[in-house]
Amino acid sequence: MDYLVWLEETPCSIWMRESGPAFFSALVFHSVAMGFIVGVHVATNLRILGFAPSVPLSLMKRFFPVLWVSLIVVSLSGVLLLAAYPAKALTNPLFFLKLTAIVAALFITRSLANGLMQDPGYDMNRAPTKARMLAALSLLLWAGAVTSGRLLAYTHNMLMASHQY
Amino acid sequence: MNSSWGWPAAETMHYVGLALLIGTVGMFDLRMLGLARGIPMSALHKLVPWGVAGYAMNVVIGVMFVTSAPEQYLFNPAFQIKLALMGIAGVNVLFFYRFVFGPVKRAGAEADTPRAAKVAAAISLSCWVGVIVCGRLITYYRPPYHWCFWC
Repeated sequence: MDYLVWLEETPCSIWMRESGPAFFSALVFHSVAMGFIVGVHVATNLRILGFAPSVPLSLMKRFFPVLWVSLIVVSLSGVLLLAAYPAKALTNPLFFLKLTAIVAALFITRSLANGLMQDPGYDMNRAPTKARMLAALSLLLWAGAVTSGRLLAYTHNMLMASHQY
Repeated sequence: MNSSWGWPAAETMHYVGLALLIGTVGMFDLRMLGLARGIPMSALHKLVPWGVAGYAMNVVIGVMFVTSAPEQYLFNPAFQIKLALMGIAGVNVLFFYRFVFGPVKRAGAEADTPRAAKVAAAISLSCWVGVIVCGRLITYYRPPYHWCFWC
């Protein structure tokens, strides 16, 4: 608990809580960028699952720059939001569930991008069952990340470690 | 909606609908703006029904939000701007399918899109990003009960 109190007293944490626009901007950037991250995954995974079959699968990677930029924005804004109320997230198991779901989903993306999506042979052909299952799992993991992210606002045990409500 | 889980569950589904819209309509807009050249636009457009489904779901959930707590929405400038942006996006959709979609559909995979398509795509993308921003703002700023532009 002590380290949470210490984190809450760092200048960055205080600034995030007390300057109105800082917290608000971080929230807005976090939700918009997360929308694009999940969005790129929706498009890619739907394509792997067999929808829009005339889209050359390997070319879906050309949307990935959107993913990388959004991942940077999401991480930076996420760290700032965490800095504002560290105890709120770090004492909630759902926060770690959310991070785990995101890391697992990104591992799936990496494996699909380096395998299936690298092979022009699958541009027009049906993806193998294993790849389709991974694509479906990825969509489920993103849904889980979104769900746990939203529930963080409802399920926290405490807002701050230094003065508990 | 007034149960302990109703509101958070609706919010979560609202975000899923948003992701469907960004993932299909948003990616189609980005393609028209010149990203991911090589993907035939007519082929990518086959994903758009998913975005329409997400949009329809979000309209239903949105009506549930507003009817459950009208005082949080009707006088909230974020909600008013959000509705205005949805209106602009709607007019843009009509304009796009009436005048621009034909040539876009026939364009080659590597082709540059007509200027009108780029304008429509830019309007669509900015409106939907604006809608997300305003949506996030609705619960962040809870205005006093009788707030409106004209009083």
